Amino acid sequence: MTASFSWRRVGGPLAAILALSVVLTILQASGLAFWQGLFVNLGIFLILVLSLNLSNGFTGVFSLGHIGFMALGAYASAVLTLPLREKGDYLPNLPGWLAGVHFDFYLGPFPSGFLAATLIAAVFVSLIALLVGLVLMRLSGHFVAVATLGFLVIVRVVLFNADNFTRGSRTFSNVTPYTNLWWVWAWALLVLYIVWRIKRSSFGRAMLAQREDRWAAQSIGIAVMPPRLLAFVISAFFTAVAGSLYAHFITSFSPTVFYFDLTFRVITMLVVGGMGSVSGSVIGVILVVGLAELLRRIEDATLLYGISQIILAMIFIFIIVFRREGLLGQREIALDRWFERR
Amino acid sequence: MNLVYYALQQLINALSIGSLYALMAVGLAMVFGILRLINFAHGDLMMIAAYFAAFALFANLPLPLAIGIMIVGTILVGLIMERVAYRPIRGAPDVAALLTSFAVGQILQNGTLLITRLLQKPSPLAFPVIGILSGVFAFGPITVPRVNVVSLIAGIVLLVLLSLFVTRSNLGLSMRAAAEDLHAAQLMGIDINRVIATAFAIGSGLAAVAALLYAVQAGQLTPYMGFTPVLKAFIAAVIGGFGTIAGAVVGGYALGALEVFLTAIPGIGDILPPGLVSPEVQTFLKTWLPGSLTSYRDAFVFVALILMLLFRPGGIVGRREREEMQ
Amino acid sequence: MKNRFLVITVFTIIASLVLAACGGGGGGASGPINIGGGFALTGAESSLDLPAANGAQLAAKEINAAGGVLGRQINLIVHDTKYDMTVTAQVAKQFVEQDKVVAVVGFTDSDSVLASGPTIQAAGLPFIIAGATSPKLPAQIGDMLFFACFGDNVQAAVGAEYGFKNYGKNAYLLWDKGVEYTTLLGGYFKSRFTELGGTIVLEDTYEDNATDFSAQIAKAKALPQQPDFYFISAMPYNVGPVVKQFRDAGLTGPIIGGDGYDTPDILSVAGPAAENVFFTTHALIDATGGTEGIKKFIAAYKAEYGHDPENAFAALGYDAMYLLADAIKRAGSTDAPAIKKALESTSNFPGITGAITLSADAHIPRKGVTMIAIKDGKFTLGAELVPEKVPAP
Repeated sequence: MTASFSWRRVGGPLAAILALSVVLTILQASGLAFWQGLFVNLGIFLILVLSLNLSNGFTGVFSLGHIGFMALGAYASAVLTLPLREKGDYLPNLPGWLAGVHFDFYLGPFPSGFLAATLIAAVFVSLIALLVGLVLMRLSGHFVAVATLGFLVIVRVVLFNADNFTRGSRTFSNVTPYTNLWWVWAWALLVLYIVWRIKRSSFGRAMLAQREDRWAAQSIGIAVMPPRLLAFVISAFFTAVAGSLYAHFITSFSPTVFYFDLTFRVITMLVVGGMGSVSGSVIGVILVVGLAELLRRIEDATLLYGISQIILAMIFIFIIVFRREGLLGQREIALDRWFERR
Repeated sequence: MNLVYYALQQLINALSIGSLYALMAVGLAMVFGILRLINFAHGDLMMIAAYFAAFALFANLPLPLAIGIMIVGTILVGLIMERVAYRPIRGAPDVAALLTSFAVGQILQNGTLLITRLLQKPSPLAFPVIGILSGVFAFGPITVPRVNVVSLIAGIVLLVLLSLFVTRSNLGLSMRAAAEDLHAAQLMGIDINRVIATAFAIGSGLAAVAALLYAVQAGQLTPYMGFTPVLKAFIAAVIGGFGTIAGAVVGGYALGALEVFLTAIPGIGDILPPGLVSPEVQTFLKTWLPGSLTSYRDAFVFVALILMLLFRPGGIVGRREREEMQ
Repeated sequence: MKNRFLVITVFTIIASLVLAACGGGGGGASGPINIGGGFALTGAESSLDLPAANGAQLAAKEINAAGGVLGRQINLIVHDTKYDMTVTAQVAKQFVEQDKVVAVVGFTDSDSVLASGPTIQAAGLPFIIAGATSPKLPAQIGDMLFFACFGDNVQAAVGAEYGFKNYGKNAYLLWDKGVEYTTLLGGYFKSRFTELGGTIVLEDTYEDNATDFSAQIAKAKALPQQPDFYFISAMPYNVGPVVKQFRDAGLTGPIIGGDGYDTPDILSVAGPAAENVFFTTHALIDATGGTEGIKKFIAAYKAEYGHDPENAFAALGYDAMYLLADAIKRAGSTDAPAIKKALESTSNFPGITGAITLSADAHIPRKGVTMIAIKDGKFTLGAELVPEKVPAP
């Protein structure tokens, strides 16, 4: 299904990307670390939500354990990029083959080591996801939700205990801060594009079909396992990438970071935007991140600490009760229509 | 040390912990059985119960009255929760309700935090000491904290009462019917709202009792304390047979036994008196069951959970789950 | 149409955010001195951070009532990090760029310090830690980091030496595996104790949120011979139940612990069971047994907040604020390098948690460690000790 090239089709998205680049350049140049940080967080959450959308929203298989993949991606990539000196200081008990590895090399000004480490970590996590998926994809409904929750806990316990690799409960620190606006948004746009294309493809339609009605889909010959598994693995890959970006942004973390709170926040963004809608994910992320920050300031001003979590939870319940498919449901914002003559 | 006494002591530990988990799990299982709703806010209900009890005791109310207030207050909160958050989404995919329960939990936790601060109470809040629940019973070398014995007794008594209610009374019969098939029960003229409300009420009441015992053990309350209990209750209910009361009870004791076992056995090589077993056996125990295995306990428990879900979704009790028609 | 509405909502939120963020004036050469207070007032760490924040705010209030510092009032700007590291990192940036603070105090755990430290260090602002005790932090963050409290290696060494000298060579070690502080404390204890020639007869762990320790206790009871003492590295919310259950089970040997034991809850939860318990801490927070400074602090805290200080972290937050104010006064200005120099020349600053001395190569105070003994249901002063040798961070 080839699309004929037309400025109308490409113009909208292209204009959006152009606008984004302008915003990012201004941000980068301004030196305002706070706003840069906000946009980096926005981008990382976008990758997380889009990945989760691919797994949960498209296939209807609800995974509550994706943050486990993020954790594994974060730790794996950080262990790889940690320079030799820090490795010796903080991870003295690494096995020999890992102790000598340090992905802190550059290709000119480009941190190719960071990219390599991210990719290797993501592939590693995808393999784990493949195994997990093969085991868990047979379940459905709340059973798979529960089982993936178990995965999240298991990952956390393993990370706490494998302290030769992870420092256990002690904070993993002094990670080189490679992540910046460009990295995050380049990855985010890539994920956006890939998930968008998947949704539009026959493969994506198969996924959505078996989300709607598993038995009907099977009866017309759509195999259930392959799309579910593939979606699960792809989403794990990008979740791990998000983990690597996060690790190299915040430069210190421990297993407690990757647990229920973060899971719930990502799910909130997913549900608010609409499971199954790509532009819904974008809207959901911007709304929730923006709201959370606004509420946080209100909290600090009024001393009503805790109110932001309450309000966000209430909004969540409101959406689930009154508009369960989220703000956009499965529809998309068609950027090309903005350029149409009215 | 005497291996027999050690085993006996650990067995009693397992039974007491198991009773607590069983009480927590039953509430969860009842609601799931009828509504197919995994109520993660169940743990926060327990937290609310503990706070009710604490404030009642601070006001110097006699213990029975404080317990009464705690139970009534928790049931009220449970009923409100059902009416406001869960009834509007009945019929929605299961996952929607599960997510909603997370959100409800958030509201309860942060609401409690806010109120505690506004009332100028410290956080964490020290739970007042209850005389009859402190101290130990000692039988020779075996010591059992009194609160564990009370857990065991209370657990058994309440669960027996519950099973009588469920098998002998009309309402109980309706609940079992609704758990079997919600729509058919409705068609038979059973008032679903009443049945569901009852399930929530009983579940909340049992959770409140469990909360009191838990709070006595923990000694301190924080708004976030409900998280661990609900996770345990949940594991117990699933392992035992999710959706059935019998399953929750069995699962509770099974989980208690599993946890104690996973703590008692690793490291046993270190505490065996010399001469009790041959040196080869001792070395074997020390290498293959080192004390450090204990910290993997949570992971083992969840692996057991996942295995159960995969191969025996009906749990230990084995009631066949009806096929999920999505 | 709905799409438009959505996008407009999104932009409205962003716009209001920008407006909100463009606040934060003050500062300059006169007017209030802006100081950042980073604390996790909600979230899992709140049981430590909330008292610390209270202490710091009480201190700021007292300082202002006495005329402020250098004739200017202190504006302690507290932001709740919710124990979320992403928010913590953002809060640090908010302090630096929007609130325009001259220094930051706060935090009782290493995760938060590590999340916020790099930003504050890069901005060249002094950062005074109230209660995080990991001695590795100055090396991990940089030279603008200062502690108001001693390091874990110091108090663990004291615990090990005290146990070895007073009780014997065989010890039982129990620690909370889920928290960095207890893990570090247990590790430093083990290393110093074995260095002295002691033996750990049994080592065991528990999960951070455990309330029932009967399984671990049964193992300890089953030892062929009871150890000379028990070293239990626990958080304030676990010490009460742990001590109580140990004693209830008939294990009456001495129990030694760290500053996590410094909470009135150990007396209220463990009750008469808390006999023969010793712990290292910053100072004795007790209205009858403490120093004059402590008694004044407890009274002031109670008047301000309606209840007694929950644990020692309240006093640490208080001291951190006073330490900073004192340094600013001695520096004569709010310039970061000047404050840094003043901090580094702090000598015997009379904090209520002990005399604080800092130097250019020691940003962690060489405080004496107070060993508290619990006798007759009360905290009493056991000894003021300085370790002979301290394990390397």
